[in-house]
Amino acid sequence: MNKYLFRTALLLCAFVLSLTACSKKEDPRWSEADKKSKEAIEAKKEAQKSGALPTPEEGGSFNKFFPKTESGFEMIASQEKTGFAEYKLKKGGKDLAMIAISDVANNPQAADKFKTATKKIGGFPAVDQGSTATAVLVGGRFQVKVLSRDVSFTKANREEWLNKVNLAGLAAMK
Amino acid sequence: MSKPIFELINELPQSGATVMSLRALDYIVPGEWQNITSFDSMITLVTGESDPGMVQQIGERAITLYNDPAEGYQRAVWLYQTANSIGGKLGAAALANKIGESVSFLSFLEKITPKADKAQAIDFSIKVAAEIIAYAKINGIPGDGVAEFMGAVGDYGKESIMRLAALTCFDGLIPLGPDFLRKMEEFISGLVPDDLSKNPAFSAVSSMIPGGDVGGQLGFVQQGFNSIKGWMGNFVSSKNITPEGVVSSLKNFIEVSDDKLDYVAGFLDATTNYFDYTGVQTVGRRLIERAVAEI
Repeated sequence: MNKYLFRTALLLCAFVLSLTACSKKEDPRWSEADKKSKEAIEAKKEAQKSGALPTPEEGGSFNKFFPKTESGFEMIASQEKTGFAEYKLKKGGKDLAMIAISDVANNPQAADKFKTATKKIGGFPAVDQGSTATAVLVGGRFQVKVLSRDVSFTKANREEWLNKVNLAGLAAMK
Repeated sequence: MSKPIFELINELPQSGATVMSLRALDYIVPGEWQNITSFDSMITLVTGESDPGMVQQIGERAITLYNDPAEGYQRAVWLYQTANSIGGKLGAAALANKIGESVSFLSFLEKITPKADKAQAIDFSIKVAAEIIAYAKINGIPGDGVAEFMGAVGDYGKESIMRLAALTCFDGLIPLGPDFLRKMEEFISGLVPDDLSKNPAFSAVSSMIPGGDVGGQLGFVQQGFNSIKGWMGNFVSSKNITPEGVVSSLKNFIEVSDDKLDYVAGFLDATTNYFDYTGVQTVGRRLIERAVAEI
């Protein structure tokens, strides 16, 4: 009996220790990302200072290229930061999708996935990403992405709304 | 620098006084707030992506955005933490959150000193100012023009609407009663700069409040209150929120008494930190929404 108790206690200890070791706050994937990000932020600053990377456009300058509000839909401004603007598309109070324009000067590797793009939307290279996003790269500089936020909003819907963004106008901004 | 965003989210407890008190407000904003306490889960819930490679890419971008001080997200978290941590804290919040089970009101009663109404009004108005500034740090000023901006603010949901519900109930309705907005308006419109500079919460966040000198900052705080009072009055009346209703719901989760509402308010103030708790969740959500759009 004592032996049994001892074993159980040992197992318990091992279990508790393993829990502590795998403590979710010390996830090595994210700690590593945290370290790398600090180097990346410094490198980006330097690259922008030296002119190797362009300075991102103001997010507010993208607003005019988003689709105009259509009957039955609501377009709600969501975020506007340097090199980034995002709107939420709603219908009947329900979130359907997010529509975002981002300047890849903020995150240059975002452009890489378009090198192997096999389709075009509005004449620009387009890719599907993950299970909820479709994106185009405009003028090699601006990524326009539609992200589904409801299962009823399909890939075809995403492509339809990408076409409603003034992609040509955005390309001319470069 | 403060902790990275994944750590701030992963350290949020799954239970405790804050969580229980927020659950008690679910009846006011049904289903809006989920207690997300894992960075990975938050990525999946916000974006709908569960593929490990996608989750990793989104998480890395979110971490980078947070770590760049120029992006403003760190300042927003600092504001939520600082505007919340000052005041009549007993240093009990951390303990109460660790207890995890029922938190006894009576065991704290003798340590609670209810705030004077005027101090309550000032603390409330500073949380409102912090909310407005944090909003702009997180989201920028989205949209072309005032109408679009008001639409963006009107779209408060999830953790953000829960934070405003808690501000309404825990910092307004319970300590000051059903006519809390009228009472606060009297105090806040009559404030002089000296009232602010003597307030510990104001001193802590003043470097972030626009307006130049304390007089100008007082103007910002007063305008902030005026801008939220109409919304809040409508929120309370349209949802028929009463102090009795809130206390009755709290009783399902926390042992409180309904005959000493100012003590209940003091108890919540001392044992909960809803403002920075939901603030961290809001910042996490907005970072992830941006990250998935930028990768």
